[in-house]
Amino acid sequence: MSIQTFGQWLYTTPVAATIRETVWIIPTVQAVHILSIAVLVGSALVSNLRLAGVFAADEASPAVIRRYLPRMWSALGILLLTGLVLIVAEPGRTLNNAVFWTKMALVLIAFVLTLVFQKPLLQSPPGGNGSDRSAMTKPVAWLSLALWTVVIFCGRFIAYT
Amino acid sequence: MSLQTILQSIQNSGLSLWIRQNPAIFPIIESLHVVAITLVFGTIMIVDLRLLGFASHRRGANKLIAELLPFTWGAFILAVATGCLLFTANAPAYANNTQFRLKLVVILAAGINMAVFHVTTHRRIAAWDTVMPPPTAARVAGVTSLLLWVAVIYIGRWIGFTLDILF
Repeated sequence: MSIQTFGQWLYTTPVAATIRETVWIIPTVQAVHILSIAVLVGSALVSNLRLAGVFAADEASPAVIRRYLPRMWSALGILLLTGLVLIVAEPGRTLNNAVFWTKMALVLIAFVLTLVFQKPLLQSPPGGNGSDRSAMTKPVAWLSLALWTVVIFCGRFIAYT
Repeated sequence: MSLQTILQSIQNSGLSLWIRQNPAIFPIIESLHVVAITLVFGTIMIVDLRLLGFASHRRGANKLIAELLPFTWGAFILAVATGCLLFTANAPAYANNTQFRLKLVVILAAGINMAVFHVTTHRRIAAWDTVMPPPTAARVAGVTSLLLWVAVIYIGRWIGFTLDILF
């Protein structure tokens, strides 16, 4: 079954019809989606600027990461869940859309970078600043922020492509 | 000059025409608007949660507020600037939209809440900088701010579903 026929089948399911026909569901789910990306962006901003060395430099970076990484994971969970509802409601808008798949690829890259460059810091001693990290940490921190910005752009552009 | 005439002259302006005639411009401004909103909410939420008693990356509330507020303000200015451009593209439609008007009122309420906090509870911050939980007045300001900004985003999303002119 191709992704196109899957999308067409999904569109005809009763659950998809219910989501589409209940006026408040899509705006509400989209608003929760935006609120979650805001939580993620706020956490990513503070964490990555700390790793880049330009924010809260007087606080140890593992302590900063320890505070915000769980928020990023919770936000990701809600984003995937609300995103799924939006896909089920309007599969044609997303599954056949190159911008949507670009967004998914960028989200995957951003979270792999978070896993590789932030999660190991949780294991470092509470007082330490994990100074033995690779020279890639700073550029990756800036790259991550750029990726989240592009993800938001892609998200908005799904509606126009 | 009546309000409708002003709205119509905004609608007839070169800037308004330019945004409407270039299909890529509106989504780009909208995307910047969303980026700005996520930064406003994402940074103010860290402060609001701290006011409610949820720890942030540092102990002191005063320094936390001081270091995050420039980001919130910068993002807010970007949100207002991009919001003005979106408004310019379809001034009468936005001005007549209930959700748009309500959103402005709620943003104003969030501003008043912040101003009240700054001239009252924040003045005495030295006394509760590292006190957990923070005083009731701080917690009230924090939860009010959170609720108002959630409302701003929710109402803002509704504009896209209720605006008379759809792209």
